[in-house]
Amino acid sequence: MASPETWTFAPPYQLPQWPFVAPPDLGAGERIRYPVVIAGGGLAGLTLACDLALRGIRAVVLDEDDTVGVKGASSRGICYAQKSLEIFERLGIYDRIRAKGITWSVGRTFSGGDELYAFNLEDESLSEQPPFINLQQFYLEWFLVDRIVDLGGTDLRWKSKVLTVEDEADSVVVEVETPAGSYSLEAEWFIDATGANSRVRNAMGLEVNASRSTDRWCISDVKFKTPLPAERWTWVDAPFNEARAVWQHLMADDVWRLDYQMADDCDPETIGKPEVAGARLREQLGPGVEFEFVWIGPYQYRDHLLETFRVGRMIFIGDCAHVVSPFGARGGNNGIQDAGNLGWKLALVLEGEAGEGLIDSYHHERYAAAAENLTVTKRTSRFLAPRSAAEHRIRRAVCTLARRHEFARRLTNTGRMAQANVYPPSPWAKNGAHPVQNVAFDGTTLMHCFRPGETRFLGLAIGADAATLVRLDEEAALLPIDFRAVDPKSPLAVHLGAAAGTVVIVRPDAYVAATLPEATPQAVQAAMRSALGLDARASLPVETA
Amino acid sequence: MIPRPALKTGANIPDSDGFYAAWVAAHEGLSDAESNDLDARLVLLLANQVGDQKVLLECIAEARMG
Repeated sequence: MASPETWTFAPPYQLPQWPFVAPPDLGAGERIRYPVVIAGGGLAGLTLACDLALRGIRAVVLDEDDTVGVKGASSRGICYAQKSLEIFERLGIYDRIRAKGITWSVGRTFSGGDELYAFNLEDESLSEQPPFINLQQFYLEWFLVDRIVDLGGTDLRWKSKVLTVEDEADSVVVEVETPAGSYSLEAEWFIDATGANSRVRNAMGLEVNASRSTDRWCISDVKFKTPLPAERWTWVDAPFNEARAVWQHLMADDVWRLDYQMADDCDPETIGKPEVAGARLREQLGPGVEFEFVWIGPYQYRDHLLETFRVGRMIFIGDCAHVVSPFGARGGNNGIQDAGNLGWKLALVLEGEAGEGLIDSYHHERYAAAAENLTVTKRTSRFLAPRSAAEHRIRRAVCTLARRHEFARRLTNTGRMAQANVYPPSPWAKNGAHPVQNVAFDGTTLMHCFRPGETRFLGLAIGADAATLVRLDEEAALLPIDFRAVDPKSPLAVHLGAAAGTVVIVRPDAYVAATLPEATPQAVQAAMRSALGLDARASLPVETA
Repeated sequence: MIPRPALKTGANIPDSDGFYAAWVAAHEGLSDAESNDLDARLVLLLANQVGDQKVLLECIAEARMG
C-alpha cells in the first residue's frame, strides 16, 4: 500500500512594511484641519489617495496596519478589469501591473466532462489595456503605496486606527489612535474606505441590507511545477468535485487559484485541512502533477448595499459601501472605480470649480453601479447553487442544450465579467454617463490626454479644424476643459459613435457627460455647468433603496 | 382576468392535434425524471423561438396561475 501523500506549503509572500511616524497632530495644541482624510489603505482608499495626489490634493491616509493585504488571508481579489487598468494607466502603475500580472482574455466553461463554450473578451475590446489582468491584490496595493510615496504630498499614516468620527457642519472630527498616543484631526471631507466591517459605518447605525449565502466554497492557492494555460476555466458541475462548481485562475508568481464549491452542510474546518484540500486537488489533477500549497481558505460569501454613499461630509467607498459575491470580479474593481468616480469630483469641489452638490452625483452613480452589480452577481449565485429539484432540472436543460446551441450558452452563468457600468440619467448627465475605453488615436491615447497635476474635462471635437479648436478654447476659457480634434475615421470617433461636427464632452474619469451635435458656446457652457453641478437644478435628493 | 397584452391566447398552432400527439409521443418510454428534463429543454427551445421578453414573462406569469 502506498504511503499517504504529504502536503507542503510554499514559503509565505514577503510583503513590505512601512514605519509609523508620529504625525505633527500629536504635539499640536489645536486640531489640524485637512482637506481630505481617507480611512483605510485597501484598494479603494489607496486608489483614491493616488488619484488625488495626481490632482494636487494632499490627502491624509489612516491605516490600522503597516503593510498591504489582509493578514493570514493570502490575496482577496485577483482579477482586475479593463476600466480599473485604465485608471491605473492614468495613475502611472499600469506598466508594473502588466509586468507582474497575468494578462488573459479567454474563458472556458465546462459541464461534466465537456467544454460548453469559450469566450474571448479581446473580441470586444478597443482599449490599450487588456480586458483583464490577474494579480494578487496586495501587489496592487503595494504598487499604489510606492506610487503615492514617489508622487509625494500624501500623508500616509500607518498604525493609525480611527476610533470615532463626528460629523459637524462643515467638517468631520476624527479621533485617531496610534502607538504614540491618540489625537483628533479635522477633515473637510472624510472618506470611509475601511472595508466590509467598517466600524465607523456600524457606529452610525446605517442600514446595509446584508445577506449571507448558504453556499460554501474553499479556495486552494497552489504553485505548480508544470504550466497551465493562462485562461479562466469554470466548471458548472465538475466530475472531480462531486458535480459541484470549480474555478481555475492564474495569478502572479505561478500561483493558481482553484476555488471549489462545497456541500452546504460541510464542516468548514475539515474542508480547509491540507490533507482534505490535497485530496480534492489530486482528484482534479490526477497522480503525478507536483504542486505545493500557498494558502487554503474556506469561505461563505455575503453581500450588502449601503443605502446612501454620502452622509454630510462623510463619503463611503469600496467594500464598506457594497459587497457582492465574488462571481465576475465585481468587488475590488468597483472599489477602484468608486475612487475613480470620486477623485475628480472632490478635487474640483475643493478647488471651487464645481458645486458641492457634485458629490451627490458620486452616490447617484456609484449606488446605481453597486445595485446593478448586486443584481448581476445574485443571478450568478442562483445559477451556481440551485435550490430545488426544479432549479436543478432547469439548469440541466440549459447545460445540455448549451453543448449544441449558441442561445443556450448565453443562459449558462458562471459569472458575468465586470465591465464599466453605465450611469443612469441625472442632473449631471441628462442622458446618463457612458464609459469610454482607452482608445489610441492620432498618436496618443485617451488616458494620455488627462494630464497629471490638473483636473480637466476633454472636449473631443470630431473632425474639427485648427480654427474651430481655437474658437472652442476661447469660448470656454473659464471652464476646466481642453478641446482636441479627433479624426472622424479614427477608432475613437467610431467607438464614440460621433459624426463629424460633434463635440463629445468627456469627464476626467473617462465617461461621456454630453454629446453636442452643435458646439455653440451656449451648448458647451450648459453641458459643463450641469456636469460640474453649477446649475441650481443640479442637485438631487439622496435616494434610498 | 389579469391583462397580458403581449400574450396570444387565440388559436395559433396550425395543427393543434398534431402538436399534441407529437408532444405526448416524445414522452413515451421515458421515466418521470427524463420526461421532466425533456419538458425543460422544450421550454428553452420554444423560448428562443419566441425571442420576445414581454411575451416570455407573460407566459411565465400565465403558467404560474396553474
